[in-house]
Parts: sequence; structure tokens; C-alpha cells
Amino acid sequence: MILRILNLVVIGALVLAAAYVYRIKFDSTVQAERLAKMRSEIRRERDTIAALRAEWGELDNPARIETLTKRFLPLKPIASTQFDSLDALPDRPPQFIKPDSADPIGHIIENLQEPDQVTGSVAEPPPAPAAPTAAIIAPPAAAAPADDATPAERELPAVKSGRLDR
Amino acid sequence: MTTMAQITSLRLPESWRSWRQRFMRGLMYRGDIDRGAKARARVGLAIVAFAAVYFIIAVRLVMFATVSDGRTAHRAVTGDAIATARPDILDRNGEVLATDVRVPSLYGEPRRLIDVDEAVELLTADLPDLDANELRERLSSKRGFVWLKRDITPEQQREIYRQGLPGIGFLNENKRDYPNGPEVSHLLGHVNVDNQGIAGMEKWLDGHGLAALHLAGLATDRLQNPVELAVDLRVQHALRDELVTARTNFKALAAAGIVLDVHTGEVVAMVSEPDYDPNNPHEALDPTRINRLTTGVYEMGSTFKAFTIAMALDSGKFTLQSTVDAHGPMHVGRFQIHDFEPENRMLSVPEIFTYSSNIGAARTALAVGVEAHKTFLRKMGQLDRLRTELPESAEPIVPKHWGDLNTITIAFGHGLSVAPLQALMGVAALMNGGLLIPPTFLKRTEAEARALGKQVIKPQTSEMMRYLMRLNVEKGTARKADIPGYYIGGKTGTADKVINGHYSKASVLTDFMAIIPADQPRYLLLIMLDDPKVLPETHGFKTSGWNAVPVGGAVVSRIAPLLGIEPRLHLPDADHLILASLKESR
Repeated sequence: MILRILNLVVIGALVLAAAYVYRIKFDSTVQAERLAKMRSEIRRERDTIAALRAEWGELDNPARIETLTKRFLPLKPIASTQFDSLDALPDRPPQFIKPDSADPIGHIIENLQEPDQVTGSVAEPPPAPAAPTAAIIAPPAAAAPADDATPAERELPAVKSGRLDR
Repeated sequence: MTTMAQITSLRLPESWRSWRQRFMRGLMYRGDIDRGAKARARVGLAIVAFAAVYFIIAVRLVMFATVSDGRTAHRAVTGDAIATARPDILDRNGEVLATDVRVPSLYGEPRRLIDVDEAVELLTADLPDLDANELRERLSSKRGFVWLKRDITPEQQREIYRQGLPGIGFLNENKRDYPNGPEVSHLLGHVNVDNQGIAGMEKWLDGHGLAALHLAGLATDRLQNPVELAVDLRVQHALRDELVTARTNFKALAAAGIVLDVHTGEVVAMVSEPDYDPNNPHEALDPTRINRLTTGVYEMGSTFKAFTIAMALDSGKFTLQSTVDAHGPMHVGRFQIHDFEPENRMLSVPEIFTYSSNIGAARTALAVGVEAHKTFLRKMGQLDRLRTELPESAEPIVPKHWGDLNTITIAFGHGLSVAPLQALMGVAALMNGGLLIPPTFLKRTEAEARALGKQVIKPQTSEMMRYLMRLNVEKGTARKADIPGYYIGGKTGTADKVINGHYSKASVLTDFMAIIPADQPRYLLLIMLDDPKVLPETHGFKTSGWNAVPVGGAVVSRIAPLLGIEPRLHLPDADHLILASLKESR
């Protein structure tokens, strides 16, 4: 009796094992097919990359670029005298407004009042510089307090008027 | 069980036991063996045999399961790779100089072809350049495989594929492609139809392991590691462009140039015009298109005076203040030595160099001695064949009996023919502090170069030579190369060409060697023009100073920004910059 049960168990196990092995084998075949497909895909991609690189090399060839620049661009080779070192750069021009300033116009007016500059408080001949300055700045100053305008937008007219003053 | 034998012996009648049975048993077993043990042994043997059979089946099953992977992978490769793969070649900045592209090739299998006439008709419609008669002949043959056309376009392939002709197929082959055309021709070399390198660096690649891979059939897939050369494509282009202009301008037979890194020996650019397109290799067969820089040998002319003066200064017998009698002409046997612009007075060493005095150089060399001269030039690598990665090289032509006259002429660059690259290597050693570094076309670091190089002259001598080179640009024959900001130093050379065994007055070879910058040397440039003609702008002259030198100047102003040399304006002259530092260091 025990032997018969054992036999049945063994037969069952055998069937299971066979099914399992079959599944593994089937899976591995599928994987192998996928692998081969991917390999050939990689190969094709590599070949395409190589072909594209060759084409790029042809397009990027200095001789070709030179002919194109000569035909289409007004550029010329740089002469050695056109190079300069960073130390030779002039100083940064004075800044009229602080980037985070809430009242850019006020800053411009402050900056304008340098010691050597003539202001309206001193007796001067009729065309005093302060008066026209104020007149020019006035219209943008009205636009400035608009809250929805970004700082850059607010600075823009101020900078323009600053340049006008100078 | 033990009684089996007894039972059988009991049951079987005596008559059944024939003599034959007895004989067989006597043959197989000893009479006294136990029959039970015998039977057990037989069963055991059967078990072992069956187990072995099943084991073999199992092993084969496992083998089939694992090997089948390889088979599927292999299947994907068919229709591929007849010609072998080569690694890509890149320049020092990673620009592609040579690469493999897959191109379809058309083949036919005449035995499987059903209708030859139809195939011929359809194929010639798609490939008009295919000869119909030849095609018919090939397809009518009894062979199993014939090539119909190598290297067709993908569009043509698609068209032919669509016609669905039996017995006509495609194989993908690797084809070498040189996207820059003639730009880097001599240096790269080229390959034959089977993708084997037959010249230049391509041949070097084959000599270094690739050929073995090809033989083993392993190099079918794209090789992963590209080869990086020392050449800089942009510098190469600038040099070539200027040389092409110069060659047309001066109607020269040939123009050649090299840019050499003096500290590493790397060849950053090398052009020998006329050159060829490696995509079209049969152009290379034309003998006028040889690489003059490594395969040609030339008398370099006055640039050799750099060696003479360096030898004199290095020997200790001369200083920069020494003077030499340069009254001319100088008589040696039945020969007369002239100066191009005779000074007829005592000349100091810097004056010999800047006036390029033949007589001065000859007397200097004689004063040092013939043997010392020979030893010095051998030490500078000028008397032996220079071997580089390029398979093409030329043996210098050295006089068999080296006497006084040879020393005199070689002192100013006649009577000894060397490959220009070889001369450049020697001058690089005079410039870089005295280290003779074999030139290379592959990337090399300064440390590697220092390990390879050998000290041939004293560092002070090298500094004096740089002073002389700079002086020659400021005051001497190379004034037309003084591009502001780059502190160029240079030596000109003009050699009469030997035609039919005689020096010709009519045609010359001019060259110019420039060191950039002269105070902190980095690159050495060689410009060489073969037989430049007189132009109205050159006022009837065809010496180096009128043709090779301005070309050199133009090249420097173009390549120096590419090589990352910062222009320094307002530098003091050579007397104050190089000579002063020389005195300080003493």
C-alpha cells in the first residue's frame, strides 16, 4: 500500500518536473531569441551610429566649414593682435541701480547727486540739470509702483532714463 | 539462491547437458563459482549500462539546451561580414579620421537562378553602371557564388530586394571610410579592397595584432577601442590649406609641412602636398604623390647650420662672442665656397647664423673637427634611418668617405640627404633643452617622452640656439615670419636641387623651421617647398626668406590659436629676453 502511494507520488512528481523543465526550456528559448534579436539590433544601431559619425565627420570637415564660412559669413581669422588678457579689461561701469531695489528711480537720483555734480540747491544759470532730469524720470516713475510688474520690467524704464541723463 | 546450480543440475536430465554447453561454461566460468553471485553481477552490469546510456542522453539534452543559444545568435550574423572590421581612428580631439561603415554588396548564386535573362534585365535597370554582357556571363556560369557588385547604396538594395529575384542576395561588408578625404592622407594611409591596411597608420594597425585577429576570423564585429592619433585635424587642415595656396602661388612641384610638439615628439600635423584621397587609393600610386617628409631624402640647406652652430657651441670651443673669418670665396681643393650675400669680414657666431654664411659655418665645423662633426650628427640621429610608426621610411644618403670637404658642405646643408622629419627631430632636440625624442604619430605624454629621449646637448646650448633662432627672425633671413605676439624663432634653408648629378642653379628646395614661441618652446614647424618659382612680389628671389618664410608666418598665425598658444604682445627682443636669462642662470 505504502509502495503504491509512493509510486503515485513519484509519478506525480515526474509529471510536475517535466512540466517545469518544459517551461524553463521554453522560457530560455524565448529569452535566447530575444537576446539574439537585441544583439542584432545593437549591431544595427552601432552600424547606424558609425555611418552617422562618418557622415558627421564629412559635414564637420574643416575644409567644408571653411568654404561655407567664406561664402556665407563676413567673419575673418583672428589676428594675434586681436587677443588681449583679462587684466587689460577696463573697470566695470558704475551701477545705477541695485538689482533688488524697491525704488530704482530713487537710487538713480541718489547716484546722480555726486559731490562734483551741480544740483538745484545751488544758485545756477537757468538750464539747471536737476530740473530736466526730474522731468524725464517722472513718467516712468508713475509706472514703477505697479505691483504685478517683475523687478526687471520695473528696472527697464529706469535704466533707459538713466542713460538719457548721462 | 545458493542452491541454483544444484537445482538446475538436479532438474535437468543428464542427457540435456550436451558437451557443447559444458564447453561453453568451462570457457566462461570456473567450475566452482557461485551461480547466485554470477546473476547479481549480471544485473549490476545491466544497471550500469542502462545508467550510462541515460546519462549520455541527459548530457546531450543539456548540451542541446545550452548550445542552441549560440546557434540562434549565429544565425543573426549570417549575411554579414566578409571583409574584416578595423578599429576607428580618431584625431587627438576625438574627431573621426577613419571608420568602418557597413555597405551592402550584391551577389548571385547562378545554380539557384531560374531565369537569367529576367535577372539581367531587372538588375541592369536598377544598376545602370553594370555591364549587361558581363553580368549575363557571370550568372550563366556553373559556379555556386559570384560577386555582382561590391558597395551598392541602401536605395539600390531596397529596389533589388523588392524585385524578389531568386538566387540574388546581399552581404553586408565593412568598408573603410575616411570622412575628411585628402586632409590627412599620408599619415593615415589606406586599406585595400579586403580592408587590410597597406600604407600609413592603417598598415601599422595591421602590424600590431589586428592582422592576427583577422587571420583568426575574430575581427568580424565592430572593434570597440578606437585608436587615437597625435594629429589635430584642425591644425592639419590649416597647414594643408596654407600649403595648397603656397604651392599654387609659387608654382612649386610640392609643398610639405610638419608641426611637431618639441616636448613629446608628437606629430600634430603632417602634410605633403600633392597628396591623395584615401577613399580613392589608386591615386596614391602616382609617384608625385609620395610622402616627401618620411619617404623622401633631401639636402636641407642652411637649416643644417643650426646643427653646425649647436655643435660648435656645445663643444665649448666656441661661445656666442667667438668670431670666424668669413672672407670669401673659400677655396677647398678645386672647389669654391661662396656666400649668398658675402660680408667678407670676421663674423661672430650669431652673425654667421643670421647672415646664413656658408663660409662661416664651414670654418666653424672645420675648427671642431671632421670626426667630432660626424659623431655629433650621428648623435643627433641624422645619419641613421629614422623609424616611426609609418611603414614608409628612407635611409639618409651619407657620404662613404667623409673628409674635410664633406664636413665643409654638410656644415651648410649640402652633401648629406636626410628625411625632413629626421632633420626636424634633430632641431627639436636643439630647441627643447637638448632631449632627442623620436617622433611619434600616436599620443604620448611628456613623461613618456622624457623616458624615451636622450640628452644630446647641454640645456644652455639649447637656450643659445633658441636665442639665435629668435635673432634670425628679428634681424636675419626670417624677418617675414615675425608674427606679433607669438615670439617666433626660425632658420631658413635654400638648397640647390641636384638634377642629373649636378647642382642646378635654376631649381631650389627651400625650407623654414620655426619654433613657437622661442622663449618657451612648444611647437616646431617645418615648411618645405620643392622648386618654388620667382614671382613679381619676390623681386626675382626664390630663396627661402621669400617663399617658405612668409608661408610659415601665415601658418603660425592660423595654428597658434588652435594649439592654445596665448599671444603675448610687447615682449622684449631676444637680446633682452633669452640672452639675459641665459646670463642670469650662469
